[in-house]
Amino acid sequence: MEFSTVQELCLHLISSAYQRCRLSEQICRLAIILTRSSSSHPSLRISISDTGIGSCLEEFQNLRFSSTDVADNWDGMLSLKTTSNMPDQLFCLREMVLSCPHIILIGIRDTEIHSYQINLKGSGSSRITRLPSNTKNGAKFSGSEAYLSSFVSRDLLLADIHTFIQKNIAIQLVAEDCDVPESRYEKVFLSNECKQSPVSASNLELLKSGIEDYVVKHGNNLSNKCNTCFPSWEQLKVGVGVACCTDNRLHTELVMEAVILISNVSTQNITCFREYDNKTEVLYFEDFSPCTISRSSMKTLESIDWKTYGLNLRGAVEQDGVTLLEWENLPTDTHIDVVLHIYHKQYPALDRSFLSLSETVKSTVIPAPRKMSPLARNLVKRAVKLALDDLKANHSQAFLSSRALQIRGYAPDLAKTIAGLILSSSDLDFQGECFSLLGLQSQEVGTEIVESCIEERIVSVIEMNDKKPHNYQQVAPYLFEELENPVQDSEFQENDFGPFDF
Amino acid sequence: MEDLQNSTLKFFSDQELCNADIVPPAQVRARIEVSVLNFLKILNASNPAISNLPLIQRKYSNSRVIHGLLTELSRVFLSNSISTRSLMRPIAAKAFVRVWKAMEICYQILLQEKRVTQRELFYKLLCLSPDLFPSQTHVNRTIQDLVALLRCSRFSLGIMASSRGLISGRLTLQEPDKEVVDCSLCGSSGFPISGDLNLLERLVLHADARYVIIVEKHAIFQRLTEDRFFHQIPSILITAKGYPDMATRFLLYRISRAFPDLPILALVDWNPAGLAILCTFKFGSVGMGLEAYRYACNVKWLGLRGNDLPLLPDQSFVPLKPKDLQIAQSLMSSGILQDNYKDEAAVMIQKGRKAEIEALYFHGYDYLGKYIAKKIVQSDYV
Repeated sequence: MEFSTVQELCLHLISSAYQRCRLSEQICRLAIILTRSSSSHPSLRISISDTGIGSCLEEFQNLRFSSTDVADNWDGMLSLKTTSNMPDQLFCLREMVLSCPHIILIGIRDTEIHSYQINLKGSGSSRITRLPSNTKNGAKFSGSEAYLSSFVSRDLLLADIHTFIQKNIAIQLVAEDCDVPESRYEKVFLSNECKQSPVSASNLELLKSGIEDYVVKHGNNLSNKCNTCFPSWEQLKVGVGVACCTDNRLHTELVMEAVILISNVSTQNITCFREYDNKTEVLYFEDFSPCTISRSSMKTLESIDWKTYGLNLRGAVEQDGVTLLEWENLPTDTHIDVVLHIYHKQYPALDRSFLSLSETVKSTVIPAPRKMSPLARNLVKRAVKLALDDLKANHSQAFLSSRALQIRGYAPDLAKTIAGLILSSSDLDFQGECFSLLGLQSQEVGTEIVESCIEERIVSVIEMNDKKPHNYQQVAPYLFEELENPVQDSEFQENDFGPFDF
Repeated sequence: MEDLQNSTLKFFSDQELCNADIVPPAQVRARIEVSVLNFLKILNASNPAISNLPLIQRKYSNSRVIHGLLTELSRVFLSNSISTRSLMRPIAAKAFVRVWKAMEICYQILLQEKRVTQRELFYKLLCLSPDLFPSQTHVNRTIQDLVALLRCSRFSLGIMASSRGLISGRLTLQEPDKEVVDCSLCGSSGFPISGDLNLLERLVLHADARYVIIVEKHAIFQRLTEDRFFHQIPSILITAKGYPDMATRFLLYRISRAFPDLPILALVDWNPAGLAILCTFKFGSVGMGLEAYRYACNVKWLGLRGNDLPLLPDQSFVPLKPKDLQIAQSLMSSGILQDNYKDEAAVMIQKGRKAEIEALYFHGYDYLGKYIAKKIVQSDYV
């Protein structure tokens, strides 16, 4: 992972700290403390500490910092204190080709706090310097603290962090300037008010809840659900799919989860900004971290037979580092969102609210996309297809335009009326003919059966019609075909005539 | 005379002109059944669809005035421009379902061999489907749609419009095997005209009147009836209390057939609405253009006309409202008006004012009778 600004690095450190908190499965505290010292070097000390599981050096080995800025505002030295069990990792460290700035790592075999200093700008095995460790003095705790000093602007960094913070754990954000008394800015973020997930929810459920949250907040541009666009949760139609396979090479199970969300939002709401118009943003996560989707996965998405679900994919494009799916003839009020998550099964369950990070994360984190094995490619296809099937099964109206939905609303009434006409007749021949047209046996019919049979057919015509692009939509035949010269068709107008209309 | 009328009708009853037949209930039910079967056939076809409803357009752009060759009778007909009512257009979807709903109700009414008024129908539909039929207007319009679809008259569908008509004067009516009603003895309110066209059809009529006078307004009708005007000038007075309903027109038509030598004269306000009412009695209407032409009568305009205006005090003239202008424009562009009527309408528009018949009371309460009598005697009607 390469960073070009201190802000990016900080956000990544926060992200890692957050993950460590998640893995701890206990309530944790993540503290981000920005202190401007009053010494002759008015640099900003940035400290990110957490009480999650301890860090391991592997997290830091891939970090690189390259600054093209001549007036470098950071020397590249990162200090780290952690309670993790480190010895094995330390061994590996020597062998690794390091080209990162310094990180101080402090590990402890349960009784010690390890300290390290890592040079993120350096390279070679001298990158990591191990410092003397401190004892825990019998106390039991775990956590890490990463800190660095930089000349970066406090307010800018504060703003960046602010937008980055998610709300599922209590986070303390403190900014203080020693020079200026009462400059201490403190804010504590508490649990998410929007949608609470039960602690025991599965990965998939949390992923689902995460994307729902993301969508109703317009890609996390809002802090709460947009009530204009989404007055009710029922507008969201969600389909989920999971596909797994065993990765023999890594001796783990590879799991691919896919969630597809379709929402119908009235196009009247032009005030709500949609970043990518009608294109579908494909969110991708790998091992619980936001990631850019690989080329091969993108190609796999393109190869899926969307047509069978009434969707026409024009193609997948990349825009500002975001993967977007473009559709043909998608009704303007319909929006589709897709999230894919591939992970190795050894990881314990995580709270998926970190999905809320994704918006800002994408702009700051540029991880190297991993090469997707053929196994994984197949998983994408299977999982997405399962999600689409799920959508279709549970929300038969999911793929309908709002126009079709509106029309469909009249189907029960119409069916009831036609059924009423058939059943109130005293002409048995007429009834018999109607039943045979419907494929029903005369004896077994009750009102409900007739009504639902007719309704089913009406609905299927509406749905079929909706799938076709507008210019190809079927012109239905007239009820009475023997019209000699229908002179002209005209649009329906409510106020066709009045008593004095000559 | 009957044959002449019929043959005249057949003469210009070409394919381009559409009408709603008066058919017995069994036939109407058959047409409805065909509708249902067609709908189901198309719904279950190999290329299934929800069939569209072809409705004859009831707009003046689809109307035509046919002037009688052998008679002086002109009628308004509807041609065969179709309006397509489709479920697939969200705006029209509701109206589409309404037509089917109305069809269902009418079918049931006919099965029970009943007849209901539009008002009764409204309340029934209001209970069954309040969102489809929130008002009487929706019911009335849907019935007209159904007439336009099935091409049978409203009455054939089992629906009666309650009549607002009243009749008085030197006429006797008798329902078969019932007592005779003498319309000159009905008091100042006159005899109410039934909405049941079958009943009106069966009435036996006798009259020794010399004229039939259509009176636009109820108050004027009452004044004339109370004053026994029909004895001064032997006449029959008839009113629809405003815009004419089908039953009143039908009775007038029957009278005109039974007593063809009686001139039919109209007494209306001097305003576009009055002229429109006269024209409806005379030619029929576009709104019910598939049926209304049947009861066109040779009505003459007695008053108020342009040449009566000097009789009226200045204060009695009021400005035309936008609605009045709309009606006037509509009449002018309809192609219905004969030249002298057009001129009158043009004067109304040009002057921008209107006047009521009551303005004649300026000269005294008995002036009205004298005015009418004078005009009749002078044959001052067009």
